Amino acid sequence: MTRRRGGGLAAAFAALVLVGGCRASAGDADALAPDPPSAPPRSYAAIVVSESVDEIARIVFDSAGARVVKVAPVGMSLIDPDGPHGVALSPDGQHYFVSTAHGLPGGSLWKFRSADDVPVGRATLGQFPATVQVSPDGYFAWVVNFNLHGEMETSSVSVVETSAMLEVARIPTCTMPHGSRLNATGTRHYSACMMDEMLVEIDTRGFSVARHLFLTQGKERGMAGAPPRRVASGADHGGHDMGGHGMEPPAPGDVSCSPTWAQPSPDGAKVWIACNKSSELVEVDVAEWRVTRRIPAGNGIYNLAVTSDGRLLVATNKRDQSVSVWDAATGREMARIRTSRRVVHGVAITADDRYAFVSNEGVGSEKATVDIIDLEALRVVATVEVGQQAGGIEVQK
Amino acid sequence: MLRALTLAALAVPLLLEAQAAPTTTPSRIARIVITPVQKVVTAGDTLRLKAEARDADDRVIPGVQFRWTQTGARFEGSVSQDGLVTSGSTGTLPAAVVAILPNEPPTIERFEVRMVPGPAARIAILPAVQRLVPGQRIRLSAEVRSAIGDIRDDRVVWSSSNTRVASVNEVGMVTAVGAGRATLTARVGTVLQALEVQVLNAALESFAVEPGVTDARTGDVIRFKAVAKDAAGRDIAGLTPVWSISPGQGMIDADGAFVGYDAGTYTVTASLGNRTAESVVTLAPRDVRRPLSVVGRLPRTRFNTEEVWLHPNGEVAYLGSGGGGDVLYTIDISNPAAPFVTDSIIANTRRVNDVMTTPDGKYLVFTREGAADRRNGVVFASLEDPRHPKVISEFTEGVSAGVHSTFIYKDPRYGQHVFLTNDGTGALHVLNIDDPAKPREVAQWKTENRPDAGRTLHDIDVQDGLLYGSWWNDGLVILDVGNGIKGGTPSRPVMVSQYKYDLNALYRDVAASGGEGFIRGTHTAWRHRNYVFIADEVFPASGVRGAKDAAAGRAYGRLQVIDVSDIERPRSVAYYEPEFGGVHNVWVAGDSLYMGAYNAGFRVFEVSGELRGDLRAQGREIGHLNTADMDGRASNTAMTWGVVVRDGLAYVNDMNNGLWIVRIEPKAGVVP
Repeated sequence: MTRRRGGGLAAAFAALVLVGGCRASAGDADALAPDPPSAPPRSYAAIVVSESVDEIARIVFDSAGARVVKVAPVGMSLIDPDGPHGVALSPDGQHYFVSTAHGLPGGSLWKFRSADDVPVGRATLGQFPATVQVSPDGYFAWVVNFNLHGEMETSSVSVVETSAMLEVARIPTCTMPHGSRLNATGTRHYSACMMDEMLVEIDTRGFSVARHLFLTQGKERGMAGAPPRRVASGADHGGHDMGGHGMEPPAPGDVSCSPTWAQPSPDGAKVWIACNKSSELVEVDVAEWRVTRRIPAGNGIYNLAVTSDGRLLVATNKRDQSVSVWDAATGREMARIRTSRRVVHGVAITADDRYAFVSNEGVGSEKATVDIIDLEALRVVATVEVGQQAGGIEVQK
Repeated sequence: MLRALTLAALAVPLLLEAQAAPTTTPSRIARIVITPVQKVVTAGDTLRLKAEARDADDRVIPGVQFRWTQTGARFEGSVSQDGLVTSGSTGTLPAAVVAILPNEPPTIERFEVRMVPGPAARIAILPAVQRLVPGQRIRLSAEVRSAIGDIRDDRVVWSSSNTRVASVNEVGMVTAVGAGRATLTARVGTVLQALEVQVLNAALESFAVEPGVTDARTGDVIRFKAVAKDAAGRDIAGLTPVWSISPGQGMIDADGAFVGYDAGTYTVTASLGNRTAESVVTLAPRDVRRPLSVVGRLPRTRFNTEEVWLHPNGEVAYLGSGGGGDVLYTIDISNPAAPFVTDSIIANTRRVNDVMTTPDGKYLVFTREGAADRRNGVVFASLEDPRHPKVISEFTEGVSAGVHSTFIYKDPRYGQHVFLTNDGTGALHVLNIDDPAKPREVAQWKTENRPDAGRTLHDIDVQDGLLYGSWWNDGLVILDVGNGIKGGTPSRPVMVSQYKYDLNALYRDVAASGGEGFIRGTHTAWRHRNYVFIADEVFPASGVRGAKDAAAGRAYGRLQVIDVSDIERPRSVAYYEPEFGGVHNVWVAGDSLYMGAYNAGFRVFEVSGELRGDLRAQGREIGHLNTADMDGRASNTAMTWGVVVRDGLAYVNDMNNGLWIVRIEPKAGVVP
C-alpha cells in the first residue's frame, strides 16, 4: 500500500544526490576528506533492493551525478514485508531476478522485465532465499536458501530455470548457505556456510555438491562430496538464533570464520572467502582445494566483488562502516573507505572495473544509501539515498 | 495485547510473458515423453514418473538429464527431483519436467497429476433417523470416505430389508410404509452401512410445533420443537421431522434452531409423514443502527500506523509504527478531543506491530521486526510515568526472526507471563515476567505433525488459563496454559482442541479472481462468553491487472463465530463477511463487537444472545465509519487495523493515517 506508492519519479528525485565523499587509506578509517566531484566517463546504472520497504531502486550515475531514477515495488504483501534480499541481472540484461526472503510457505525468486520493472514470473523456493546469480548462459538462476530463522539443519541451494521460472533442483548443502557465486564459465557454484564454517562447491552440470572445505583457522580441511546432513535436534529450541547476522564480533578466543561470501577469481583458480566473524579474507586454491592465505581484513568483512581483470577485490566491512579495496595478487589492502551509513552490505563492480556500487543498510528508520566508489581514486564519489535496509545490488553491464 | 497485524495483499500484478531463454545452440529435443500416460495416484500413495527425450525424428536422445518439479499444491503433495510423486491429499498437483542438455536451452513439459481418494472404506448416513411414522418421507444422504477420511463421490446403492415397512429409492428418499422394523442399507461396492429404523404403528393423534406464535427480532435464535403425541396423549419421542421456513430469508437447522434475516412474518413448518405443523414467527427489525461521531484525531503519516493500546488509567494510549517505522508513540488522551504525543521510544526495529501493558499498568511490552542487526524480539518498558515509558529490558533469544504479537496474562498461581509469536518458526514462546527487567523463557510450543514450512502463529488471546492461538493454516488452536482442564501451565502448554477449516474452499473466489497462491489464514481470535470470534486475513495473489497501482487492490476475509461451549469440540455457528474489504482485528465488550476491517473501515456489531447464521444479513451492524483521510499515506483510502474500547469510546487505528477516537452515539431520538 503506501509503502508501495513509490515508483514514481517524484520519489526518485527526492533521493539525495551527494557528490563528494570520503577517502581513507588502509587502516585509517576515520580520516575523512571531502573530495570534489568527479564526473564519470560514461553513464552507469545499478539496481538495489531494500529489504524493509520492499522496493527496487534504479540508480543512474553519469555526468549529472548519481540519482535514483525509479522505484518499483516487489513482493506479495501490502502490509508485511516480503524482504527483497538479492538481485541479479540476466546476461542479456532483458530481465532481472530478485529473491524475497519471507512468504508462505517459503520465500520466492521474482523475475522482472528490465524495460519497465514489471514482474513476469515467480518461483517459490525454500526458507529465506538470499544471494542470487544467473548462469552465464542465462538458463538458470542460482539462489541460496539461507534459512536465517528456521531449524538448525542443513539447508540448500535452489536452481531455477529462468524462462519458465521452475525450480529444477534444491541441492542440500549446509546450515545457512550465504553469499554465493558461480565461476566465470558457470561450471562451479561456490557458497559460504555461515553456521558450518564451510565452503561448498557444486558441480552445476550434475546439480550436486562436488566438494566442501572447512575454513576455521587451524582446522582447514578439504573433503570430497557433500557435507553430512545436519538435522534439527529435538533438544534444540524452536529456532536457532542468528541475531546479529554478521553484526556481532567474536567472543574472546573464538577463532571461527562464520563465512558470509564466496567469490571465485575470474580465472576460476581461486575462491576468496569473507570470514565475517574472524574478520579475515581467506584464499582457497581451487585445484588443490586448500586454504592458501588468511589475510586480516576489516571488521565484519561481509560481501565481496572482484574486478573483471582479477586485479582488485572489494569487500564490505559490515561492522566497520567501511569498504576495503585489496590488491588481489599481493593481498595488500590498498584502501579502507568510510561509507555514508552503518551496516554495510553489498557490492557490485561496473563492467569497466572503474566503480564499485556499495549498499549500506542503515539503522532503524534512517534511509539506506548506495555509495559509489571510484576504484582509481579509491574514494566515494557519489551517494544516493534509497529505501531502508538496502541489501542486494547489481550493476548493469 | 496483540491484535496483531498481518499480511496483506498482493500488491504487484504479475504479468505473463511469452518469451524464450537466451539461446546458444537450438535444442535437439522435439518432445518429452512421460510415463505413465495416465498420471493418477491415490492419496497417500506414490507414483514414479519417467521421461525420455525424442528428437524431430522421434529418436530417443541419450544423455539427457531430467529434473522434476511441482508448480503448485505444495501443501497437498510433492514431486522429488527424480520424479517420485507423493500424494498427501486429494486434488490436482501441477508439475513439470525439465530436460537438460549441456549448452542447449532446457526443454520443459508441464503436466498434472490427479490425486484421487483411496477406495471407499466407510459410509455415514445422515440424518440418523430412528423412528418414523407411517407415510413419513425423509431423504437420507450418504457420505462416503476413504480409509484416511477423504470424501468420495461414489454413487450409493440404497436398499431396504423390508419394503413393506420402509422403502428407499435410488436417491435415498425413504418412505415409511407400515409398522415394523427395517434395515436400510447404503452400499458402495463391498462397503455397507446399515441404518435400523422403526415405523411406529401408533397413529399421531396430535402434532404441533412449539412455540406456536412468536415475536422476535431479526437475528434472534428461536429454537422450535416438534411435539407428536399418541392417542393416549403421550409424547412420541425419537422422531425426526423435516423443517422448512417461508419465506427463505433465514435458516433453520435440523435441530429446529431458526434465525431470520429480514423483518416480517415467517411460517416455520415441521413435516412428519402426511402431518405437518406450523408455527408463525414475526420478526421486527433488529434496529440496532446508531450514529458514530469522531471525537478526536491524531493523524500519523510518517510511517504506517500499527497497534494501538490503552494504559489502564485510560489517560494514555500507545501507538506503534510500521513500514520502516521505529517509533512507539505515547499519547495523552485525557482529553479525547485533543490527543497529543507526550513522548516516544525509538527502537532498533522497522516495525512496532504490537504493544500491551501489564494489568497493573506498571510495564508494557512491544514487538520488534526488521531490526538493523536482525536481532528482533520484544522490548519491556517501565511505566512509572505512563506518559514517559522507559526501556528496562529486551528479550531476543530464539526469537530474533521477529515477534509479531504478544499477550500478557497474569495468573495468581503461576505468575505473570507474556506469550509471544515467533516469526521464524511459527512457534509460541512463553516468557515469565515476574521481574520484567529479567524476562526468562519458560516454554515453547508449536503445532505438530506438519512441516515447519507454512506454520505461522499470528495472534494470541488468553482468557481463564486457555490460550486461543490463531495458527494460520492450522486454524484456531486452544491450549491449556493454566486453566487445568488438561493439566497445562504457562511452562507446559497442553493442547485442548483445534478448529481447522478449508481455507481454499472458503476463499475459492479469491483464487478465481487473483490466482492461486493467495494469502489466507486464521489471523486473530477473541474469546467472549461461549464463543471465540476468529477472523481470517485474506488478500489475492496478485494485484488488479492493468490497474495503476495497488490502491485498486482489496482485502477479503470472514469472521467466524466458534461455539466453544464444548471446549473440546469447537464448531462454527455464525459468520460475518463484508461486501468489500476484510476482517482484521476485533474487540468484544458486553454485547458489542468492534472491528478494524481494512478497506471496509471501522465496524461495530451487536452480538447479544445466541448467534447463528449470517450476522450481516440479520441486521446486527450497529455502525460503520470509513476511516479514510485525504492526507493519509494513501489518499482517501481506509486500511483500518483494529480498535480498543474504553469508557464508551473506540480508539481506532488506521494504517494509512493514524488514530481515530470514535463515539457510538445513542440512537437518534424522534423529533416531533
